[in-house]
Amino acid sequence: MGSEWQGLCHEGPQRHRFDKLALLPILKGERVQDQPLAIGAAGLEPRRVVPTMWSNSGRKPLAGAKNRLRDDFFAMMLAFLLCRKRMLLMHRENLQLFFVVANTEAIAALVESIYQLLCDGFALLDFAMESKLVRFLGSIRLAVPLLVAIAVILIGATFYESEVGSPTVQREIYKSAWFGALMFLLAVNLGISTLSRFPWKGPRKIGFALTHWGLIVIIAGSAAVIHLSTEGMLLVRTDSAPGSQIRIEGDLLEVVAPDQTRQQTDIFIKPDGAVYPRQFGGLSLLGYSDNAIKTVQFTNDGVVDNLAVKVQLHSDRMGQTLERWLAVAPAAYSQMDIGPAHLELFAASDEAELQQLLRAPSPEQNPMGTLAIRQIAGQSRDRTIDVEPTVGQTLALSPDLALTVVNVWPDFRLGSDGQPTSASDQFRNPAVQLLVTQGDEQERWFVFGKAGLPPVRSNDQIALALTYEPPAATPTDYFRLVAAPDHQIFYAAASSKGFKSGELPPGQSISPGWADFQISLVEQLDHAQVQRQIVPVMPVAAGTMAAEGAPALHVATPDGQDFWLPWGEPTALATANGEYFAAFTPKLLELPFYVKLNEFIVERNEGSESVAMWTSDITLFDPQTDTAAPRSVWMNHPTWFRGWKLAQASWNPGDLQQSTLQLKREPWWVTALTWTGSLLVVLGIVVMFYGPSLVKRWRQWTRSPQTEPEPPMDEGSEEKAVGTIPILAVFGK
Amino acid sequence: MKLTTFLIGLVLGALLLVWPISQWQPDGLDSLRSLTVQLDGRKKPLDTVAQETVAKIHGSTTYQSAEGTREDALSTYLAMWFNTRNWNEEPFVLVSYRPLKEAAGLDIERKQFTFQELMANRELAAIVGEAHRKELNEVDLSRNEREALTIEGRLNLLYQSVGDRQLPIVPHPDDRKGKWGSLDETTKLYSPEQAAPLLAAFAMMQQTLLQGGATHIPMVASLAEQLKAGLQQLSPDIYPTDAVMGREVYFNHFHPFAKAWQLYAIAFTVLLVSQWIKRWNIYWTAIGLFTTGIVVQTYGFFLRMQIADRPPVTNMYESVVWVGFGIMAIALLLEVFSQKRFYLLAAAPLSVVCLVLADSLPAVLDPSIAPLVPVLRDNFWLSIHVPTITLSYASFALALGVGHVALFNYLFTPQAKQRIKTLSQLNYRVLQVGVLLLTAGIILGGIWAHFSWGRFWGWDPKETWALIALLCYLAPLHGRLVGWIGDFGIHVASIVSFNAVLMAWYGVNFVLGTGLHSYGFGTGGSELLIASVVGLDLLMVLATAARHYGWFKRSEPLTTVENL
Repeated sequence: MGSEWQGLCHEGPQRHRFDKLALLPILKGERVQDQPLAIGAAGLEPRRVVPTMWSNSGRKPLAGAKNRLRDDFFAMMLAFLLCRKRMLLMHRENLQLFFVVANTEAIAALVESIYQLLCDGFALLDFAMESKLVRFLGSIRLAVPLLVAIAVILIGATFYESEVGSPTVQREIYKSAWFGALMFLLAVNLGISTLSRFPWKGPRKIGFALTHWGLIVIIAGSAAVIHLSTEGMLLVRTDSAPGSQIRIEGDLLEVVAPDQTRQQTDIFIKPDGAVYPRQFGGLSLLGYSDNAIKTVQFTNDGVVDNLAVKVQLHSDRMGQTLERWLAVAPAAYSQMDIGPAHLELFAASDEAELQQLLRAPSPEQNPMGTLAIRQIAGQSRDRTIDVEPTVGQTLALSPDLALTVVNVWPDFRLGSDGQPTSASDQFRNPAVQLLVTQGDEQERWFVFGKAGLPPVRSNDQIALALTYEPPAATPTDYFRLVAAPDHQIFYAAASSKGFKSGELPPGQSISPGWADFQISLVEQLDHAQVQRQIVPVMPVAAGTMAAEGAPALHVATPDGQDFWLPWGEPTALATANGEYFAAFTPKLLELPFYVKLNEFIVERNEGSESVAMWTSDITLFDPQTDTAAPRSVWMNHPTWFRGWKLAQASWNPGDLQQSTLQLKREPWWVTALTWTGSLLVVLGIVVMFYGPSLVKRWRQWTRSPQTEPEPPMDEGSEEKAVGTIPILAVFGK
Repeated sequence: MKLTTFLIGLVLGALLLVWPISQWQPDGLDSLRSLTVQLDGRKKPLDTVAQETVAKIHGSTTYQSAEGTREDALSTYLAMWFNTRNWNEEPFVLVSYRPLKEAAGLDIERKQFTFQELMANRELAAIVGEAHRKELNEVDLSRNEREALTIEGRLNLLYQSVGDRQLPIVPHPDDRKGKWGSLDETTKLYSPEQAAPLLAAFAMMQQTLLQGGATHIPMVASLAEQLKAGLQQLSPDIYPTDAVMGREVYFNHFHPFAKAWQLYAIAFTVLLVSQWIKRWNIYWTAIGLFTTGIVVQTYGFFLRMQIADRPPVTNMYESVVWVGFGIMAIALLLEVFSQKRFYLLAAAPLSVVCLVLADSLPAVLDPSIAPLVPVLRDNFWLSIHVPTITLSYASFALALGVGHVALFNYLFTPQAKQRIKTLSQLNYRVLQVGVLLLTAGIILGGIWAHFSWGRFWGWDPKETWALIALLCYLAPLHGRLVGWIGDFGIHVASIVSFNAVLMAWYGVNFVLGTGLHSYGFGTGGSELLIASVVGLDLLMVLATAARHYGWFKRSEPLTTVENL
């Protein structure tokens, strides 16, 4: 029988190819009867016939044609792998291969073609294995420099990350194409080196193969995790409707060109404001500001009499020129704050009012505000005290009721140590600290200037109502433009350097005394009408800009006009060629279910304020099946629902009604890949390092079960080897 | 014979443990020590409170007062609690950072200063004020400012501890997790009749101590017993049992980690002697002593885990102690298989250094047991990922030790070829252990991250550095296979690559200061010191390499007497 199969693996021009003709009869099932049939290799007698799971006789009668097809395919694969020339040469003595193939024509034809394909593939691979390049790709000579290079890149990346932050590094290095290519090269190196050491015989090689295959699987899995998973944040509140829209990291730009083509892309913004991509949908993306405000442009098309002026602020030192519109109406545009300075516009109806507006500011009446006291129980009248002179004083309100003004915090905050402190001298969040004494009862009070904030008090025993009226916020630095009845413009400027006022003719610059700023009147409109526009806010002095702006994207249309797109608002951009619509929006994703926060539970460590655990008690609604699932989510204990993983992400210590959940979804096979790879690697290392000696010991033990294994080296030679103590050899010589 | 000498070692170790006998003699203050305080989110004995408070303010658990008497933490704490000294003028507050002392115009040579000196120091106050302002505006603080905030914390703690009437020692009536009250608040929780005897006992304790200071401490023993019994009576279900508090007091005083390093040091000496004097044959005695040390340290971890009710490694202090343990345990295990002595000789000094550092720097490596942050809570993976990864650090540290022993050999006895060969085999084995543990640790971390952050791998700096450390060992190990580096190279690699481990273990949090792993690992500092030690070590490596490769050797003259 053996000689019949000579052709299977004969040497020839196509060295590794099976002889199809020789195989076909089997494939067609001519010889396949009830008995499993073995295929032997060249020149060998098949030694044994083993019924395998693919054997005809062993197959369950119920298995359908589909299963058969699959089984037969696997059978072919096995036969093929085992019959490869290499295998024959190396394992001639061990070769016992057996399989049975299908007995239907169709399957035979299919299998034949697949088989042909595989033959060619493997022949090519075998051929390739012998080429120099492939050998190098799989060699340790490549592996070591590669490992070193990756280590060096990673070291650089972590230091770079501490400079520029995680998103940039993720984008520029870890998720970049070239780093991916490097990882791919590593995987190729691992793969070829493992293949070239086939067959993996003996514990060391088995361990080696397991580890290296495991590493390939992990690299593939990790790449898949990074590139194929979806992750987003969902903010839920106990007092709002169920949410189903998650916020995914990153921003989106959607552009509808004048020809109605719609395009959409991810926008990446580096910390320095650079925007990627630079061109999209016909627009050039020029830059980004995370602090842009909406402002207005005025045109002179109005029907009613309405004054608007455009002023220019210019600073050489800061290299800045800002232009701002002020208008009498709408009222919102009659004044604005630029950093600590204040710009305002008034129209005086007569000469007296004009003089009044241009007068220097009078000193503040109550520089620290006033405190209104109302005794709820007592008979005494309500009274109001001026805070400034009373700081540190004790006032007797009634015979047994006294009040001490301990401190005034203009910009009240709680410091990191939990102590009250003031963040600045500006009355932004003013608070008065008081000590109220009634008989033996002592209470500490914090009364806030902001309306709607009830006082914070250490106890609730004393019947007293206090309201704090902070000083009227007149900015110390202001630039006031006043239009006389004849539309001539005057100015009044106050700063820490003094006060001045006078006429403001167009084009002339005035120094209001704020750093080296110069203010000039650029344009004046008498019938102004509003047009909205977005402009970025430039900090007037470093760090003084109040953060009230929103992000905006700076784009230019093909005809050279530039616009600012506010974040989250679709905007129409009018150009000569037609109108573009562009929307710079957060990336959002609709979930297939709804999440409702029932309760947010914060557990504290006993007797202290530090948090032990926070738990979101949620209900998940699936609208398709109309089911609701109650779940709890806490740190390290996520929950799974419809393929999504929900984990507790963060919370707001100031608002226990809300909770932020992290939602994540990745294909199941990605998880399976990484876990399999992990298992393979660890197992492989154990086998590789400790397999050989364990096997050795096992053999020793099985050979002579009654004698203990000898220690690897006998005492005598060891003593000789050790000699003097290495550390003390320093003194010996 | 082996067994006998081994047993001798064990017995000797056990004897050293119980020595000195005085540590077992009761001084009657046990009820004072085990008085329960609910502080920082858990119930702990007064003894722990005393140790932590004194260590935090003073930088050490014993205080040598101006008069020269040395006092332990408890009596120092009692002196604060009952305000029996003029704490304004005791030089008690640790200020160790030199540049800050310079900036504040303090005496550079002194380490401890009085409350008054520091409070009255305008420069210091200005630095603290600036630091607070920066914190509010979320600006990064300078090192001086961070140190100044630490000093402020110490001053606050001292101010709060002196004459402290707020110490929560009165149990909550019914809630196991409820907030405890101070003695003054007893009447809010209980009836005045219940409160009166407690207040009386406390007042009498104060009287006694005010009259006699530290010398009268034994006299308050009975009063303290009354006070404790009274407190226990108030809420017997809530008040922790004596066994629980006693265990912690016992842990504080038995001090297993200190005992462990002392045993290691003695065993190391014995091992050295066994090398010298072969006749004595005390090798196995040394092994016995090492074993006792390991057992004591294991016992210490067991106690600490019981007290804290959490896995063994959760902060920097614990990781240092654990690495000290790991080095010794791995060395002993490998030693039993190889019996070449070098493992233990290399491991013992490293392990002792780790444990002594952990013991003597309470201000940097804080040994106090504080509740865990939520991320680390209730977590199976924490209890296997962190110990595995720190054990891998330990085996790499052992490889570092073996590498050093080998390099000394290259430097001083390069002719001992056989020994050097042996050493490289030994080093290779430790590196194997390290690679296995580090790989397993990284993968376990990935699995945890999969649960906790939703991804297996995300290039977080700590993750990345663990991988870098692994690569730093894998590259030379693979390089050896092609013959690019030989035995000498492996020894050098085991020393140089350890820097990557240091970075992953310690540097990521302090040098880079970013990433998700930033919880629970305390403040930084001493970067410069560590950098200079590393630098010196690398110079040593360079010198050895120069000698090994003969970089500075003059080329031999071609004609010599021999080859003529």
